[in-house]
Amino acid sequence: MVYCKKCVYPIISVNLEIGEDGICSSCKTFEEFNSLTSYDWEEKKKKFEIIVEQIKKNNKSNYDCVIPVSGGKDSYYQTHKIISDYKLKPLLVTYHGNNYLPEGDFNRDNMRKVFDADHIVWGPSVEVLKKLNILGFEKMGDMNWHAHCGIFTSPIIIAAKFKIPFLIWGEIPWDISGMYKANDYPEFSARVRHEHGLRGYEWQDFIHHKDIKILEKDMIWAKYPSDEEIVKLGIRGIYIGNYFKWDPNEHSKLMQSLYNWKPLEGNFQRTYRKISNLDDRYESGIHDLLKFIKFGYGRCSDHASKDIRTGYLSRDEAIKLVMKYDHVVSDDLYYWLKYIGKDENYFWKIADKFRDPRTWKIKDGNWIKENVDGSISSYGKVHLTPDEIDLFNKKNK
Amino acid sequence: MKKRRLIPVLLIKNGMVVQSRNFKEFQKIGMVKTSVKRCSEWGSDELILLDISRENKYDLNRDDLNFVNNNSFIDIVLDISKSCFMPITVGGKIYSLKDIENYLVSGADKVAINTSAVLDPKFLDLASKKFGSQCIVNSVDVKLINNKYIVCINNGSEVSSYELKEWLKISEQNGTGEIFINSIDNDGRGNGFDLELINLVESNINIPVVCCGGAGKFEHFLEVAEKTNVDGIAAANFFQHVDQSVFLTKKILYEKNFNFREPRFLKI
Repeated sequence: MVYCKKCVYPIISVNLEIGEDGICSSCKTFEEFNSLTSYDWEEKKKKFEIIVEQIKKNNKSNYDCVIPVSGGKDSYYQTHKIISDYKLKPLLVTYHGNNYLPEGDFNRDNMRKVFDADHIVWGPSVEVLKKLNILGFEKMGDMNWHAHCGIFTSPIIIAAKFKIPFLIWGEIPWDISGMYKANDYPEFSARVRHEHGLRGYEWQDFIHHKDIKILEKDMIWAKYPSDEEIVKLGIRGIYIGNYFKWDPNEHSKLMQSLYNWKPLEGNFQRTYRKISNLDDRYESGIHDLLKFIKFGYGRCSDHASKDIRTGYLSRDEAIKLVMKYDHVVSDDLYYWLKYIGKDENYFWKIADKFRDPRTWKIKDGNWIKENVDGSISSYGKVHLTPDEIDLFNKKNK
Repeated sequence: MKKRRLIPVLLIKNGMVVQSRNFKEFQKIGMVKTSVKRCSEWGSDELILLDISRENKYDLNRDDLNFVNNNSFIDIVLDISKSCFMPITVGGKIYSLKDIENYLVSGADKVAINTSAVLDPKFLDLASKKFGSQCIVNSVDVKLINNKYIVCINNGSEVSSYELKEWLKISEQNGTGEIFINSIDNDGRGNGFDLELINLVESNINIPVVCCGGAGKFEHFLEVAEKTNVDGIAAANFFQHVDQSVFLTKKILYEKNFNFREPRFLKI
């Protein structure tokens, strides 16, 4: 496995490019943004202010914009910018997938107390959610498909219903894989939602199953508005990260002091950061363990790579953290299995089907892979049937 | 009356759609299948699909997606042409008449030829005689060197011996049906099209011309429509930055009374 020389990302990371110089596209995009001068940021800010003027000029009686929020530090930062700095009246929209941690619950509900903003919290029934967890896990090795879909779909549905032409998103996908440059100003799109958020699956893929019954009526929060409707209302999704410097560690400090935003009280088992993913207990837990099971890297690699770039960690420190955290099987696995009524064997039998042959090999009935420090380790027993092992070895060639 | 055309370009590198800057720097942005579907839904007049992979490797790098992982460019063409509602020009790595035939039977309406044509202009002649010049596009990449437009080959990595004007004449004489002109200097910069270059091509040739390279905002398309007579305006990166991009661009051109089709969405 080839790793970026600067951060700890393997080449198998989603949409990553590693150049001839051995540096990944995510590091390069970060560098580009980091080298922007105060003049550049001033220009970017002006561009945002043109949009704000446009919103103010055209709207007298409606919400000025939708802000999709989970209640995380970034949600607070977006809302803070929009209300305190630009005096707009946003409508906050939250997808609720029933995965909140207690701190996340507090932060979400606290938003209406600390900000002057109306708030819609929307999500499927827990009964439907349990079914979606099972189907997502079995189809694509991800119990959280419903969350990606809800987060990327429910805000634009609400925007269309209330005829609100602007959605203010936070960070841009470039931070993860370096897809864009500072002057691209990408906007939210159905394409990015469909392939990066939903991995090519739509709500239609979840109804009419023979054993698990979900109706079209259960998936209204997942139905993306039509192009005609979006264009008629002039709806655009803007990423605030295009216009203002994005530093999650700084944001979280600021939001704690201004609005009593709360980080995790204890520790995550799979990463050292305490400021991310409080809205979803599995996001840093087993959802992310599945990323490790599939591709051999996990949330700690994401956080450590970001923290190398912003100068919070050296690469050596980061490697030590990755070796400590990326493979950990966290306790939320048992919470989840109880939630959906299955046993641990069920989890591993299905999870193992998603091991990527670009990362994994089978040796003596165990899964082995190369690590970021160059060593090779074994990561537990193979749970596949002989036929499935044959198929895996065939793919491996 | 002939309408002018608005054409999204998809650059495919190792199986995925990428953004390109000066033919040198690339950023993966997503799946070919979704981009083709979106371009169709936006009512694009045509699609240009170029394989710019340096090595012969096509892989989505993961298997857990609801997308077919095609391991060759021809498989990609076959896959997307099933749900493509606009004419497709396919280019990249065309070395023989057999290559052209393979693309044409896999769903391509036209093929774009670059390096093979420059290395042997007779190839254009043979190709247009066998398949008809209406489906033979000569893709021409140029770089401004010492104030002269020089034709480049092999993904812009090599300078040929031809100056642009000289090459255009040869290309037209050998039966090329259309020129797809791209500025390597402007590629991915987003600072606007090279209008001088486009006009130079236009005034030296009698076949249709499609221009590319430099689109960064809607106004850049208006500029080309107004200041040149080019038949088609194409862009790659730009159309990936905002949703409904092709539709919105066409709407602006149409509303300013330029000779483009009325914008419309297709239901697919």
